[in-house]
Amino acid sequence: MNMGKIFSLRGLRITSQWLFLLFFLFLFLETEGKGADELGWPVRFFLDFNPLILLTTLLSSHSAPVAFFLSLIMVLITLVLGRVFCGWICPFGTIHNLVSRAADRTRALVRHPTWFKFKYYILVVMLALAAFGSQQAGLLDPISLLIRSLSVSIYPAFSLATSALFDVVYHADISGVTTISERIYNVLQDTVLPFQQGFFRQSVLIGLLFLGLLALNLYERRFWCRYLCPLGALLGLLSRWSLLRREVAEGCTNCGACGRDCPGGAEPRSLHSWAPESKEPETDRTREAARAMNSEAAADWRHTECHACFNCDDICPHNLVKFRLGLPSFNWGGKLKKAQSPPPALDLGRRRLVTAAVAGMAMVPLMRVGNLPAARANPKLIRPPGSVPEKEFLSRCVKCGECMKVCLTGGLQPTLLEAVVEGLWTPLLVPRMGYCEYHCTLCGQVCPTGAIERLSLEQKAKVRIGLAMFDRNRCLPWAYGIPCIVCEEVCPTPQKAIWFEESEVINSDGEMVMVQLPHVDPDICIGCGICETLCPVTDQPAVYVTSIGESRSRENQLLL
Amino acid sequence: MDRRKFLLRSTVAGGALLTAPIFDTWWQKGRAGEIPDLVMTRGGKPRLATKEAVAALGGMERFVSRGDIVVIKPNIGFDRQPEQAATTNPEVVATLAEMCLEAGARQVKVFDRPVNDPRRCYVQSGIEAALKPLDGVELKYVDDRRFRDMRIGGQVLTTWPIYTEAMEADVLINVPIAKHHGSARLTMAIKNWMGIMGGNRSRIHQRLDQALAEMAAFVKPTLTVLDAHRILVANGPQGGSLDDVRHPEVIIAGTDEVAIDSLGATLFDMKGGDLGYVRKAAELGAGEADLNKLKLREIPLSA
Repeated sequence: MNMGKIFSLRGLRITSQWLFLLFFLFLFLETEGKGADELGWPVRFFLDFNPLILLTTLLSSHSAPVAFFLSLIMVLITLVLGRVFCGWICPFGTIHNLVSRAADRTRALVRHPTWFKFKYYILVVMLALAAFGSQQAGLLDPISLLIRSLSVSIYPAFSLATSALFDVVYHADISGVTTISERIYNVLQDTVLPFQQGFFRQSVLIGLLFLGLLALNLYERRFWCRYLCPLGALLGLLSRWSLLRREVAEGCTNCGACGRDCPGGAEPRSLHSWAPESKEPETDRTREAARAMNSEAAADWRHTECHACFNCDDICPHNLVKFRLGLPSFNWGGKLKKAQSPPPALDLGRRRLVTAAVAGMAMVPLMRVGNLPAARANPKLIRPPGSVPEKEFLSRCVKCGECMKVCLTGGLQPTLLEAVVEGLWTPLLVPRMGYCEYHCTLCGQVCPTGAIERLSLEQKAKVRIGLAMFDRNRCLPWAYGIPCIVCEEVCPTPQKAIWFEESEVINSDGEMVMVQLPHVDPDICIGCGICETLCPVTDQPAVYVTSIGESRSRENQLLL
Repeated sequence: MDRRKFLLRSTVAGGALLTAPIFDTWWQKGRAGEIPDLVMTRGGKPRLATKEAVAALGGMERFVSRGDIVVIKPNIGFDRQPEQAATTNPEVVATLAEMCLEAGARQVKVFDRPVNDPRRCYVQSGIEAALKPLDGVELKYVDDRRFRDMRIGGQVLTTWPIYTEAMEADVLINVPIAKHHGSARLTMAIKNWMGIMGGNRSRIHQRLDQALAEMAAFVKPTLTVLDAHRILVANGPQGGSLDDVRHPEVIIAGTDEVAIDSLGATLFDMKGGDLGYVRKAAELGAGEADLNKLKLREIPLSA
């Protein structure tokens, strides 16, 4: 199969990158409730096609949602064409491409040929962790990382900045200008701006991490993709067996153009770049032999680092670089038959691999000794409705932040240490920021791993995520004899979980007054937290939810 | 028409009624010329009832002039469906919007500041779907920038952020639903103004009756239509269980919201005087709470 320049493969690849990036961003924007029970778009698309998440989920929880098996398609594609995902599809990769455009071309050159291995070690650590029940792949999985960073940091910041800009013009009320700016603002609100401004804890940390990774492109092009990305590593390992072969036809002038624009750092070479320095007088036979060896070697490149971007095919001034499908040559692992070595192929080293695996394994108990004993749950760790028991939750959640993005009230926030180190950036409900909407099941709909199960409306109405408690020293009727019971008013269960007794109490003026004193019925309360969100004691609410009573736990219960 | 004339005419009409049925029409016309303070329809579909109720008040033309900007304020406070009787009946809202357009309104704006997620409230209440086919009607989400501190001039509410679009409209129509409420006992027309209040509304509950009365004295609606087609009699204002829903199939319309809340209370076997905010609103001169002083026309409708 000859993939020649009938049309520009490079142009096709760039088009594909843009389309997938826009599709990704579209799905990201669509990860937002519109008032209906269902979301409407397959917003988990990129997560469902992610073999890294499939593999680690299988290892850590011994099961995986059916949708994940879509990622086997990605595995098949990789086995045929190599890391086309990295070059043609990955939205994070495309963003890296865009950023690296700002840098000059020399940064395409590989500065640290030995660092390619890092990502494979990272992958091995992730797999070892998963094998021992700890799902940490999401920390560095590019899709999870991208969605999380956008959800809790970049997108809210973008929205805040945009709104602030239009607010200035709105309040300045300049005739003519404000009308136009408001019209533009309305269009933006209907398209790219969120329904409401999101506020997230740790937005600075997560955002800076993201921007830092992008900034590495200024040091070396696609630094992340070359040296760090565990999904790239997994696909790289698969691409060892891929059928895509690169060939250089005779006539190469050794101009080196192809090596200068290689995003993956696979360092394709021209024909003569590894020509043996022969001291023997040239004969027809040696020339023939050298040519044969060279053409074989020249077609070689860091196979596992090739993004199949076809830049080298496109750029070759003599149109000699060709890609074709063929059987793999198992010329890797450092066991080279010839003296004139092509660029060092992937050699991870057995000892290092073992070290990485052991490090991953050792991290599991290290992280877990920091846990509370099983019978003692963290009162603040209020998991989204439908969350599976904590141990399983941690073996599933990839911290992608989809649930935080979709949460109607903005109550779902990334954990810091509430679920200890192991649960970093997993979701918890912070009722001070937003409550759990009674009829909403969106977090379970977007969760890619089943850490939050998809609930029907009937199931949702019964699931408890915690229990409300009163702080009578702060509650207006209890502490001051002042009427209130906002908590009872907003309580969403058909039979209210907050009830009140009418009672005569003495107020601060010494008068006997009739007030309604609120109580919680622990049999009915589902812990949605709307009472806490709307309690008029705004700084430290007089009614607050803790995780006790959560349906998912057998231990963390109050009632017999 | 003074009382003497009226009695005379009624006597004549009464006599005529016995003798010549043709005078019957004339008599009815004479009565129709007299616009009641309150109209209460019983039975009938919400759409028909709304039309009849407003017609009996003199028709929408009495309230809406050509080119007016109309704001309709339903109760869309919670994420509930129409059957659960926590939000204003979508048919009532849509019918009123339609009548405003027919009366020549340039634009009809509909909004509320819900307690629950506004998107779910607008969709699940059925109001978004009901208004969609109507050109010139806008169901908008509240824009936080449009709240402005206004002088309410009360004891509790000296100033409060109020939604400017509601206050700047040419015509303001209040379309509440009648339902149970834990602290206010009932929520109907006056309580519905909490939906145009910005800021932290939770604090208002400390002196809810007084604050509501002050809002009633501050906001001057052109027309109020109370939806009591379905009512929620317990576990309000959210409800959720159909066991707590009753079907009086009543629509009450008028221009005096204190009177409307007084009449509405009777659907729950209460009097206006049982509601603190109605009493206080009447004291502040916001309206008449004594039903005996008001002309009420009841219109029975068949389904």
